[in-house]
Order: sequence, then C-alpha cells, then structure tokens
Amino acid sequence: MATATLVLTRIRVGNGLWTVLRIVLVLAALALVAYPLIFGGDVWAQRISRGAIYAIIGLSINTLTGHAGQISLGHQAFVGIGAFAAAFMASRLGAPLGFGLGAAALVGAITAAIVGMVALRVSGLYLALVTLAFGMTAETTIFNWREFTGGGAGASAPRPAIVESDFSYALLCLGVLALVLYADWRMVATKTGRALAAVRNNEQIAATLGVNVTGYKLAAFCFSGLAAGLAGGLFAHWNQVVQALDFEFQVALVWVLMTVVGGLRSRLGVIIASAFFALLPLTLPNFLASLPWQPPFLNEAVYHVLPPFIVVVLLLIVLRFFPGGLGQLLAPLTRRTAHKNGDRG
Amino acid sequence: MGAFIALGLFQGAVYGLLAVGIVLVYKAKRVFNFAQGEFGSVAAFSAFYLVVALGLPYWVGVVGGLVAAVGTGLIVERVIVRPLESASRTIMLVALVGVALFTIAITVLIAEPIPRVMPPLIGGSGVNILGAGILPQQLILLAVLAVLAAAMAWFFKTDLGLAVLASSQDIRAAQVVGISPVAISRLVWGMAALLGGVAGLLYAPVGIFTPGFMTLTMLVPAFAAAVLGGMTSLPGAFVGGISIGIVQNLGIYLLGQQLAVPGAAELGVFALLMLVLLIRPQGLLGKEA
Repeated sequence: MATATLVLTRIRVGNGLWTVLRIVLVLAALALVAYPLIFGGDVWAQRISRGAIYAIIGLSINTLTGHAGQISLGHQAFVGIGAFAAAFMASRLGAPLGFGLGAAALVGAITAAIVGMVALRVSGLYLALVTLAFGMTAETTIFNWREFTGGGAGASAPRPAIVESDFSYALLCLGVLALVLYADWRMVATKTGRALAAVRNNEQIAATLGVNVTGYKLAAFCFSGLAAGLAGGLFAHWNQVVQALDFEFQVALVWVLMTVVGGLRSRLGVIIASAFFALLPLTLPNFLASLPWQPPFLNEAVYHVLPPFIVVVLLLIVLRFFPGGLGQLLAPLTRRTAHKNGDRG
Repeated sequence: MGAFIALGLFQGAVYGLLAVGIVLVYKAKRVFNFAQGEFGSVAAFSAFYLVVALGLPYWVGVVGGLVAAVGTGLIVERVIVRPLESASRTIMLVALVGVALFTIAITVLIAEPIPRVMPPLIGGSGVNILGAGILPQQLILLAVLAVLAAAMAWFFKTDLGLAVLASSQDIRAAQVVGISPVAISRLVWGMAALLGGVAGLLYAPVGIFTPGFMTLTMLVPAFAAAVLGGMTSLPGAFVGGISIGIVQNLGIYLLGQQLAVPGAAELGVFALLMLVLLIRPQGLLGKEA
C-alpha cells in the first residue's frame, strides 16, 4: 500500500489534467452522496444527515487537534450543550430554526472560550484534562438540570415545516457541512492557518516570530466549539428529541480517535471517517444479524462496545503503519505533486 | 460534615495512588498517561478470576493481578509507546486514550459488564472515624499510598531514578553516558503499571466493580490530584489526592445535599482543577522544569 502511494505521488501530470481529475473526484464524491439521498428514501436521508453532522464534529476536532495541536476529550459536552440550546430555543421560545442553530453555535463557542481561557494559558496538553473533567461535569450537572434539559424524558426539538421531511433536512445538514468546510479551508489558507502551524510545530519559536500563541490556540478552540455547538443543534432537530444519554463522555473519546483515523489536517479523510463512524452503530447490528453464522459472544452489550473497539483497532493500525490516517492514502488523489503545492503538513 | 471529610480522606487515597503513577510517567516521558486506570482494572479482573472463579488463595490473586498489570504495561510500552517515541505528544496522548478504550472494550467482551464483588484483603467491620464507617481495606489503602509515594520520591534520588530523569531531559545526552532509552522506557512503564495494579487491587474490594471502573470515575480526580500536587511532585500526588477526595466529598455535602445540585462530586473536581490552573498552574509542590 505504501509503495503504491509512493509511486502515485511521483507521477507528474499536467496542470490542466489535474484540474479535470479534481473536478471528477468532487463530482464522484457528490454522486456518492446524491445517489442514496435521492433513491434511498427516508432511511438513507436520515443516515446522510447523521453522517454530515458527524463530519461537522470531525472537522471541529480537526481544527483543534489537527491545526492547533491541542486535544479536547470533552467534545460531547459542547455538542450536547448546543443540542439542548437549540431544543430550548425551538420548544420553549418558539424561535425559528436559524435562531436556534445560531444560539447553539454561540453557546458552544462561549463555553469553549471560558474553558480555553483557563486551560490554554498553561503550555502543554492541559486542555485534554480540563475538557475531560468538563465533559463529566456537563454529563452529570448541566444535562441533569431539569429546567434546561427536560430531565430523563429529554427536550423536544420539532423541525419547522420547511425542513420537515428527512430529504430537505439532509440538504440542510449538507449545506451547513459545506459552510463549515469553507470556513476551515479559508482558515487554513490564510494567516491564521500559518500561525496555527507555527504554534503547533514549536510554541517558543512561534512566540519569537510575534505569533500570539495563547490567542491562536484559543481562537482555534472557539471555532471548534462553535462548529461542535452547530453540529449539536443539527443533531437536536435530526433526532427531534435531545436526551442526556446521547452525550456520554466515551462518545467524545471515540470522536477524537475517529478524527485521527481520518487523518489530521485532511478534510476529505476526516469527513469519510466521520461518516463511517456515524453509520456504524446504525448498520452494524443489521449487518451482524444478517451473517449466516452468529458468533456466540454477540449480545446487546457487545453491540454497545463494538464501535469503540473498531475505532481503537483502526487507530492502532493507522498510527503504526500510516500516521497521516486515511488522508495519507487519499493524498495522491487530492494533492498535486509535492513541489507544486509545498508541504502543507 | 466530619463524616464527609473522613470519607473524602480515604476516597482521596485511591486518587493519590493513581496520581503517583501518573506523575511517574509524566516525570519520565512528559505525557499524560490516560491508560493508568486501566492497569488497575486489568489487575482487579485477573485477581478476581484467580481468587473467586478458580478459588485460589488470596496471595496468588494478588501476585497474578500484579503480573497481569505489569505485563499489560510492558505490552503497551512495546506496541504503542516505543513506535510513537518520535511522534508528537498530541498523537501519543490520543494513542494512550485509545489504549484505555481498548482495554475497557476487551474487558466488556471477555468479562461481561456485570457488577462484581471482590473479597477484601482483611475482612471485619468498619472503624468509626468522625462518624463515618471506614473499612479496614481503606485504612490499608491510605497506608500503602503513603509508603509508595515516599518510595517513589526516594527512587528519584537513586542512580536509577536520576537516569530516568536524565533520559527525560535529553535522551541523546543520556545515551552518551550509557543510559539505554529502551531499558528506561520499559522500567517506567512497568513501574507505572505496577502502581496502577496496586491501586486497582486495593480499590476493587471497597465497593462493587465493573469494566472500566478505574477509568470512568477515578481517572479525572486522579489527574486533578496530580495537577494540584504539581504534576512532577510525588509528595504532591499524595497531598493532591487527599485534597481532591476531601474537596469532592465537601462538594457532595455542601452542593449536593444542601443545595441539591446534581453531579456535585464532578463539579467540585472540575472547579478545583480550573482554580489550580488559574491561580497556581505549577501546583502546590511543583517546581519549574
């Protein structure tokens, strides 16, 4: 596999052909989503919405971990807070969907700012510890706050008429994903992206170059929180009911691993890996049930741990054999020759 | 209230014991060891299998549990840590989180997620301290924490301990004077796993235990304890662990019982962690570098 990658990267193709190839690639990817969306009925529309929501979460983690080199182990808290905020806006205040999603994004960003302002002042990966503690607190305190979350029954988040059907809701999710993708691309391609790369590689050198180290780390974390909150808002209306159970802290760990498996700083890799893990819990039980031979150890509890188990095994394979993740395998397709574009790593 | 302080003191002993292992790995490798709790789970489940399922004597369970924990530590070192030696800290941390999740998943697959009861090291009824019933097991736990924290502090004064520190500060310079990085790495992870195993074996009999019991509820307070103590200080881990235990239980008493705030224990730990990073990021007993 690695040899194939090497050979492929050495093939130099003319500029025009590359543009054509990339357009074909994008069209193929769109067709891959469009086909089940149009012909798959409500089931596939729901699955595609879920995949898009997970992809936003993956990109959110990619911003923090891939670009800023920091780790959040409590991302489910930001997604959950966004989800409950959107549900609160929709069911209690009767606000339109746009306001609800805006509130979800805002709440996510503000929460990230508060946590980040404390944790990112200290050099090192203290954010990982603080977000883990925050995630547990959110799980037990915020999500158990009855007035806000509606207790065990959960908070309802009805969809407005315009995105009532699963098909139109999938389009909305894909639209938001495109927006986040655009924001991520602009961030990487501009001064912010270069500053973050400097901070990630060496904080001290970045500081001597006049880069505000804490400021950029905080900005990346706020953007990450914003995207996570937005994803939470979309999740709320996808499920139409928000329950604290959906935001256990193990979920956040799986998300971080899934992003690394997709390949840090590779948008396509992250999206593919995220969509895969979004669909895994939905399709795995059916797939296993349809097997001709039932392994004896399979039961309900095992279904619950299989997705984390699969993500960990993939992670260990990825870290050992191709540290760039899925993005590294896709690199020959998505990048021009290295000398042309420069090393973006 | 006195009862809550006493409960917190002994609960904090477990956090301190985990924190000692976390501090050891941090001193030697500058990485947060998220797998520390799972070394304890491996030891507890192995001991349970030997003592309860096979009916072997208790000491066989203790030895077997510790051997299993150290074995796990050495496997983690060989399969995960060493190949990633040159990778960034971020990737190493993600990998250790992966190890913890992997071990939990394996424990669930092998030993179904049902609650288990491990017999205590010394039976008998509890002692009354400040109005709280404290089990003999918990007294042992506190004593073992004090001994191990002191022993580890002493270890870093010995030649071997200094070699670990040297290897941590400049791996090439350490190699020049004849310190093998591989041997140091094995030693550190073996010792960390042993400390985790001791914590798991001593804590499992205090209540019921389920897969992931050390990671899901113990790890965050243990990290908070290590940070409070200064991340590199072993006496700090001892003081930090006990402080976190007491703060957590005071949180339960003041917020949970008086004000009926849900999740008061977690909230107390999170608030304390934020306060330490805000006011005194170097911790109570931490030194620069």
